[in-house]
Parts: sequence; structure tokens; C-alpha cells
Amino acid sequence: MGIKINALKCNNCMACEMVCSYHRDDGFAFLSACIVSYRAKEKKDYFGMLLKEEDVLIVARPEGVEVNKIGEEADPDKEADASAKPMLLREGCDLCEDMDDYGPMCIAFCPVDAITLD
Amino acid sequence: MEYLSTDKILVIDLNTAQVEEDELDESLVEEKIGGIGITKYLYDKYIEDDPIVIGTGLLSGTTYPASASGQITAKSPVNGKLSHCPVIYKAGVEIKYSGFDYIVVKGNSPSPVYLWIHDGVADVADAADVWGKDVWESTDALRKFVGDDLLQTMMIGPAGENGSDYAQVCYNHWTSPDRFGFGKLFGSKNLKGFAFRGMGLIEIAEPEDYVERSLEILKEVKENSFIEQKGLGQILYALGEEDVKEWMDPVTHRHSADYFTPYASNTALFFDEDPGRLEESKKDEPGVLVSDVYALLGFKNIGLSAADAGRALKACAKYGIDPFAVAHLSGKTTLDEIKDSFDSIHGTVEIPGSGLFSPWCPTQPIFNDFDLSGEDETMAWWERRQAVSMIFGIQPIFSLMCPELTEENMLELASIGTDLDLTQETLDAVIDDLLG
Repeated sequence: MGIKINALKCNNCMACEMVCSYHRDDGFAFLSACIVSYRAKEKKDYFGMLLKEEDVLIVARPEGVEVNKIGEEADPDKEADASAKPMLLREGCDLCEDMDDYGPMCIAFCPVDAITLD
Repeated sequence: MEYLSTDKILVIDLNTAQVEEDELDESLVEEKIGGIGITKYLYDKYIEDDPIVIGTGLLSGTTYPASASGQITAKSPVNGKLSHCPVIYKAGVEIKYSGFDYIVVKGNSPSPVYLWIHDGVADVADAADVWGKDVWESTDALRKFVGDDLLQTMMIGPAGENGSDYAQVCYNHWTSPDRFGFGKLFGSKNLKGFAFRGMGLIEIAEPEDYVERSLEILKEVKENSFIEQKGLGQILYALGEEDVKEWMDPVTHRHSADYFTPYASNTALFFDEDPGRLEESKKDEPGVLVSDVYALLGFKNIGLSAADAGRALKACAKYGIDPFAVAHLSGKTTLDEIKDSFDSIHGTVEIPGSGLFSPWCPTQPIFNDFDLSGEDETMAWWERRQAVSMIFGIQPIFSLMCPELTEENMLELASIGTDLDLTQETLDAVIDDLLG
């Protein structure tokens, strides 16, 4: 069981990022989220989501989902992205195992149901 | 102020480049709640210094649906009144997370500066390297300088530096709700703009209750049928402009939302790239992001194609000029003529009602009717709804769609979040003070 992301449904509102971080910090912040809105290519209107699981980094792009094993050499044909580095330092997704009333917070709060349970 | 707040008010004197910090007293929140309730209080407090006051709503940057907005409060060069402009996209939220609830900018700088606000630190920085650059170049230069593509900016372009009446403060690369000529005001103070970035933590008095109620309200919001729709075309359709969506469809790329906002009210137009392209464009500037329904409509109504309307909006965003004023006052009908007209825009753009709020935001309900009848009742509702949105920090267009976002549940969440007893009587008094 894991998180499934449809980047084409995503409206880039960052709700998932906020509630994921809340789950870690018991306050409102963005620093600890293991799911983030990818929004560094603003002028190109290119956005999706990044999700860190224990061993993999899932890159949900509009054109499709890419699963990268953490520690493996990156594709040399793809431009390195600065936003990936802090993600790798964060804790992996635990499906909000301590949030009994909600399940995964990112799923509960996504306003457009772009995130579901796989 | 311990909760839903950074507890800090920043006061910057441009005359001396001195920076001071004040605490945000709980008693001020009990009296004025937040957002434009407090930016107006701060404007009045520092009125002798001709201040610009930047603020955030009490609920901004939280889990309350659409808690996306910040505010600019200042005296408008367009109508001469104290006016309030929403700060949208992701920029409004970044203000609070950069470490300050409110920022007062006093006086005039002897040379061009920008204000770099980051993680509770404020710098008055020399703007020599960006003064003379357009909005896109300035934002790109500051992001490169800081090494962070998520830096959020509020910048002026050549229009503001040259004192154009309709100079606009733009957010990141995009035009903004500024119909008040605040870009001219920034330029007159030698203030190029603001750059915000922060990783702050906002504490909540009763976090579990706050998040639980937020989710209950979000579930009610999601019962609306409009939640299945996206973009400016659908908004214009709902406002009676039924052919706009068909006109813009050939250049529509994707739609995106402001922070935590369920409806995507920003639409990207691609005119130098295939609009259907899903992969990242190889081109640096494939199009433009549009939030201004009436500017888009204005360019359509003078006969531009949707692609040329997008090009005109991009040119306005770079130059830092209100595209609505350009569309309605330039008197030009071709793209090249429009781009050449920016320095000669004169005339009057009507600010409806009491002149406090930007008509960038449609002056009527969207998708829902809110049981209103007649122009007077609708205008009174709109002004109150704008005031409430900018007290609490709610995305102002979304608040026109969504009856589930009520004054009652905003007050409820504000009280849960702060542990203060914020009542309807207090809110009514703040609104009376704002609307006169």
C-alpha cells in the first residue's frame, strides 16, 4: 500500500505539503513534508509532486510518474534539480500511521483528489 | 501573540535604512483581528511617514480552505484613497513564513533598494543591479542571487520606476490585483520591491481541533459542483462571458491554484509552445500565467486573438503595468501598438463602491448566487466579503464562489487557533471601521 499521485489533476495548491508537515511538526510549516509541490519551473508552468518514501523518491510529473531508487546514480541526460536534495534528507512517508482519524493527511486534504491510496 | 502568528511586526525606515521589530500584541488582535484590520491600524499609526503596510490574515498559511492571501495597504495614487490590494499566488503565504505578520515601510529611500525578508531577518538591500530591469529580469536575478527558485517577489518594473499612473506591483513574474497604482508609489520611494523566503513554524493553540474543523469545512466546500472545474474560462463563463473559454482554449496550457485553494483560478496560456505539451518546455518563456479575468476579457474585446492577448499580458507583466488599464485606456487595437503605448496610458479606471478594494476581483458572486438581489445589495455584500477575506487572509476570488466559507467558521477557527475569544461583534466593528 502506498500513495498514488495524478499530477495532471494536481492544481499545485500545496495543501498536501502543508498537512504532511503538520503531521510531523504539530504546527504549520513546510519544512518536514515528505510530499511537496514541485513548483521551481514557474515560468514554464511546469508543476507536479515529489514524494519521498523510505527507499525511493517518486517524481510525479504531468507526463508520467518516475520512481527513483535513493542512492542510485541519476540519469545523466536529466538536469539535476536543487529541490530534490532537501527532500532526500527528510523522513520517508509513513502513511500518517499515527493519524487514526484521517489516514494519510495528503489524501484527506487534497481538494481535487489528485492523491489516492494505491 | 503566540498563535497563528510570527508575533512580529517589522518597521523599516527607508530614509535611514533602519530596521526595527515590534511584538504583535494580543490585545491588538483582540481588537482588530488581523489582515487589513491591522494594516489599516498600522497605516494610521505611521501616517505621517506615508507608509506602505504589508500584512497577512489571521488564518493565512493554515489549513483553513483558501487561506492564501496577504495584503498591501497604502494610499492609492489612482484614487487618492487608502486601499487594500490582495497578495495572491504563493506570495501571500510566504510573507508570514518569512517571519513577519506585518511590515511597515516608512519614508523614501535616497537610492534604489529592495527589501529582502527571510527567516525572521530583514535587509534593506541595494537595488542597483535590478533597478532598470523589468519584473521578470528582476525576479530571475534575485532568485539566482539567492540560489532559490522558490523565492517569492513583489516587484515593480519600468512603469513603476518611470512613475506611470497605472504602474503595478507584480508578484513573481505575473500581473497582480493591483488596480491602485501601488507600483507608482513603490517607485516614488525608490523601492524596487520585496523578496520573501522562509521556513518558519506557526503554532496553533488547539492544533487537533483546528485541523479537524478545517477538514470538515473543506469537505463541505467539495460538495460544490464547481470543484470539478478549473481556470479563468469557467469563471468568465459563469459571469456571462460564454464565448471566452472557446476563444482561449487553443492556447490554454494548465490551471493552478493559490495556496490551499480548492479552485484553480490561474490559467497559463502558451503562445510560444504547444499548449498541449505535458513535458517541461525547452523554451525559457513559453507563455504567461493569468489571474486577471477582466484584463483578459478587455484584450479579447478589442479584437486580439487569445495568443496576442497572452503576449500583451506578458508584456504588461514584464513592464509592471496594470493590463486592465492598458486594455481599456490605451485606445490601441494591435499587439505592437499596445506594447508601444505603456508610457502614455492616461485616463480613469473606475474603482467601484467605496474604493477600498480591487475590481480585479469580480464584483458579484461566482458559481453560487448567495441569495442576493439587486445591485446595491450585491455591492454591499461584495465589499463586506472582500473585507472579511482580507481580515482573515482568504483568497478573495474563491470567497465569492464559496458560501461554506462563513464569517462564523472563520471566527471559530481564529478562536480555536489563537485561544482568544473573537466574536461577531468584534468582526462587525472592524468592518465598520474599514468601510466607514
